[in-house]
Amino acid sequence: MPRLKSRIALAMIALVSLGALPTRFSHAQRSAIDTYAITNARIVPVSGPAIERGSVVIRDGLIAAVGPNVAIPADARIIDGKGLTVYPGLFDSNTSLGMPQPSPTPAATPGGGGFGGQRPQAAILTALNSSQPAGLQPEVLAEDFIKPGGDQIEAARQLGITTALSAPRQGIWMGQSALINLAGDTTQEMIVRSPVALHVGFTPLRSGVYPNSLMGVFAVLRQMMLDAGRYREAQQAYARSPRGMKRPDQDRALAALLPVLDGSLPVIMYADSEREISRALDLAEEFKLRAIIAGGLEAGKVADRLRERNVPVLLSLNFPRRTTAAMPEADPEPLRVLRERVEAQKTAGRLASARVKFAFQSGAMTSTTDFYPNIARAIENGLSREDALRAFTLSAAEIFGVNDRMGSIEAGKIANLTVTRGELFTRNPTFAHVFIDGRPVDLKPATTVATDAAAAATATGSWTVTVNTGSADLNMTLVLQQEGDRLRGSIQGALGSGEISNASLGPGGDFRLTVPVNLDGQTTEASFTGKLTGNEMQGSVTFVGRAPGTFSGSRVQPGSESATSKTQGADPSGTWLLNLMVGLKTYPGTLKLEQQQGGLSGVLQSPFGVTKLESGSLDDEGFRFLARARVEGRVVEMTVEGSVSGEEIRGTVRSEIGFARFTGTRQKS
Amino acid sequence: MMRRLTIQVLFCSLIVTLTMPQSLAQSRVAATETLIRNATVLTVTRGTLTNADILIRNGKIVALGKDARAAANAKVIDATGKFVLPGIVDCHSHSMLDTINEGTLSVTSMARTSDVLNPHDIDLYRALAGGVTSLNLLHGSANAIGGLNTVVKIKYGRPAAEMIFPGAMPGIKFALGENPKRSNSQPQPGQTRRYPMTRMGVEETIRDAFTKARDYKKSWDEYQVARSRDKNLVAPRRDLQLEPLVEVLEGKRLVHAHCYRADEILMLINVANDFGFKIKTFQHTLEGYKVAREIAQHGAGASIFADNWAYKIEAYDAIPYNAAIMTRAGVVVSMNSDSDERARRLNIEAAKGMRYGDLTEEEALKLITWNPAVQLGIQQRVGSLEVGKDADLAIWTDHPLSVYARVETTFVDGEIFFDRQQDLAKRPEFLRERAQLEAADPNRPPAGGASPQAPRRRRPTNTDDDLWEGGEQP
Repeated sequence: MPRLKSRIALAMIALVSLGALPTRFSHAQRSAIDTYAITNARIVPVSGPAIERGSVVIRDGLIAAVGPNVAIPADARIIDGKGLTVYPGLFDSNTSLGMPQPSPTPAATPGGGGFGGQRPQAAILTALNSSQPAGLQPEVLAEDFIKPGGDQIEAARQLGITTALSAPRQGIWMGQSALINLAGDTTQEMIVRSPVALHVGFTPLRSGVYPNSLMGVFAVLRQMMLDAGRYREAQQAYARSPRGMKRPDQDRALAALLPVLDGSLPVIMYADSEREISRALDLAEEFKLRAIIAGGLEAGKVADRLRERNVPVLLSLNFPRRTTAAMPEADPEPLRVLRERVEAQKTAGRLASARVKFAFQSGAMTSTTDFYPNIARAIENGLSREDALRAFTLSAAEIFGVNDRMGSIEAGKIANLTVTRGELFTRNPTFAHVFIDGRPVDLKPATTVATDAAAAATATGSWTVTVNTGSADLNMTLVLQQEGDRLRGSIQGALGSGEISNASLGPGGDFRLTVPVNLDGQTTEASFTGKLTGNEMQGSVTFVGRAPGTFSGSRVQPGSESATSKTQGADPSGTWLLNLMVGLKTYPGTLKLEQQQGGLSGVLQSPFGVTKLESGSLDDEGFRFLARARVEGRVVEMTVEGSVSGEEIRGTVRSEIGFARFTGTRQKS
Repeated sequence: MMRRLTIQVLFCSLIVTLTMPQSLAQSRVAATETLIRNATVLTVTRGTLTNADILIRNGKIVALGKDARAAANAKVIDATGKFVLPGIVDCHSHSMLDTINEGTLSVTSMARTSDVLNPHDIDLYRALAGGVTSLNLLHGSANAIGGLNTVVKIKYGRPAAEMIFPGAMPGIKFALGENPKRSNSQPQPGQTRRYPMTRMGVEETIRDAFTKARDYKKSWDEYQVARSRDKNLVAPRRDLQLEPLVEVLEGKRLVHAHCYRADEILMLINVANDFGFKIKTFQHTLEGYKVAREIAQHGAGASIFADNWAYKIEAYDAIPYNAAIMTRAGVVVSMNSDSDERARRLNIEAAKGMRYGDLTEEEALKLITWNPAVQLGIQQRVGSLEVGKDADLAIWTDHPLSVYARVETTFVDGEIFFDRQQDLAKRPEFLRERAQLEAADPNRPPAGGASPQAPRRRRPTNTDDDLWEGGEQP
């Protein structure tokens, strides 16, 4: 029976290879401990009321039990939860975690060393043999590109994030996202659900190629959805009766749109402003799509319609701020801009009170310098802590259709837990433990001081940067401030102005930052990855919804600036003749300043009275002091800030009743 | 220093003015009736009425003449010594469009301006302050066949959907000459020049598109017949590029064709005649006076500038008598802005029609009211003051053809969307709000930070050849 023999042989080969292959079996063996118990902790399950003192038992990746009186298994590793609060694992609801990052150097020379050489360039991710050009391929799957590990996933976990929606960030049809747990040795292990949604950006493709305008983008989206409908009809007709009918083309791009058209796969649409959101909703209604809005900075203004249509929002925590210095040429800024910045912090609270379902997303921002402070700002502006927590946990799970297995602390759910010491929603929360799929994550102690290596490549300063988008060279100024391995700062120039986020500097001078930009009238997001050597920087930049580009820059040499900064630090002593600009009116004033050891004293004379300066101080950036004035019969405290440059003085006056500016010159003695 | 101060103060007051209307919206009273009393009413179609009243109810003009009787709770406006003109209709505008050109292809009839409306565009408020109440929002002129237009009423402060002019005929932009053949623009590096590059090519592009549209219509017609026999028949592909052209062939969509030279105007008339459709308006039409009779014979209108020329070769032969000559030849002529700036003073553009070529007062007024309304097929509702029409009108301090005339109040559908006195009254409130906002954390300038740049212009102020594609000007 040679045939039988060969079958047995085949079966044996299969068995052997099975034993050699799967990593998932080896995990169970590798990790001896799979049972944990966090005891005596405050537990916030989100799905129910908080348990002031209780325990959570984790076994084999799942939550085995939770409650005030839970039997602790004998084999459990016990974590004393005294002083700790246990939350469900936090979601970042829109990221590119695990997706290919742009290489830090645009054209890495082969064998040139550094990790840049091996990484793929972040061009638009493409599918094989697609009928559509790059950027218009809805069949692209994030799960085909996600790789475990990496700095960004690590950084997110250090922020208490256990789960993230990950998707490509380029193109019009950007591709389909996957929900991943931020731990695991393989992509397969990480994925909780895939695909979750098809992502749509409305940013045109690179210039010169259709569609090159927002109008064209809408036209293409419409045409492709119509084509997909016809594709389905043709396939069905052919399946019913192939004889006598010309075989319709197979088309995976159009086929990928069918679950979108029948509503089984939601569409995540990038839209920030009120009108961007309205347009996205119009398109969704036209084609009966299940829409989810991503970004949503002005979603509060469309809250009624969002609730009516049951459209959730993945709300970006990347709030706009003013990033440019006070300058007469730029001020006053339009009232609309001033309103937008203030209103953005109120959006979360408005969505909550309008009962619009929303979840928080970082917008690829994972730096502690922005992330938790902005949640705190949303809470200060009308969002309850309960709603904030829900937006980080159960609401996200509901939006992504996984609330049966995650999003709250309940027996049987996936053991993703974020454990804090003290309050979660502070500007700088402390994470005691993070569990992902039932396993603890290594938490690094918070970075405090700059390491020697990071200090060696200091980024602090002003940089003149040229960004090449492939079709144009755009100039901008990048101002960086280094704090340990974190960077803060802003851009200003041909890409608009914005504050940077997710910014870090590695020991070798590799740096990364994300910033909102304005390209061809469209708000989008740029991620810069590059290398900093001395006073030069270069690297590559990716834009959400567009082809990537490169950039290079150099530090603005202190030579020219030091002259001004020296004069700014110059002695402001003397008598200054001021023009005080209050609203549309200008009033004269006199300011006598006298520099003393480490301080400043003097007298301010104006139509509002004569006042002595208090708490005066002076440093390289300028001077500031408090003053009191009598206005309409009551005493008002004013904060005066300004700077001196040569024989000129300028600054601002703030008080509870308003805002004024002043400029002036030194009186000749 | 003094100059800087003055500029700052001026800028400040400008900003305040520009940010008015959101609060005006709150103060808008839902009065059931409005009575404008004792005005000089320029009806445009029925002469001038002196000491006349206009009664507005539910957005419509319900009485016009002496001693109109209003309800007790009606809002009464004394317009003694003032003039009332129908709301100005601007037949060529790019206001409130976030992008204007889809410049990549020669035929972009699938692009729709209605997808990119910005209802918060401050230029809308400025237009209202110039007595304008309706706009024809056109795609740019980078393509032989451009995108679809949108006709709007300027209900500034409302969502874009509420601004769409109800029942206005849909239209499409065509363009002839230098812009579609791209003679004044450079291709992107690494890209070949787009076809067509000559006027011959422009004609061929249009003929080719309509030939395809005719075939497309035929394939659908055949499908409708064959479907009854074969249930398993798959419908033809819906083509969003060709569908609007079929509508043109069927007379359901108006063609607004950008053009300059006489020869290209005659060319397009021939093409239209060959395919059996009509051109509704020639836009710009700088050499229209040379072929006025042919334009009139085709039944087309012309929408032009009063005195704007020589900004490129094909614009050298323009003359200020264009409006008068074409009017005398029987062409329906309108004066348009094609510019956010010019839109604020279309009344002066109309007045130039009297200065050059001796149009009558009524003919001059028609250039910006009745005639553009006819060109857009909305004359049943706007363009003149008559009982039953929409209450889209403005109260002027002087005769609108005078340089001293200023708009006091602008109504759209009987509602006030601009009022000079309310604007002035609200300014202190905005100053207070500004002070509060500037003190708020996200608006504080950082201690360091880059110095700001002058804001980019959203659009060139004179979009004479509306080639702008969004983003930065080259």
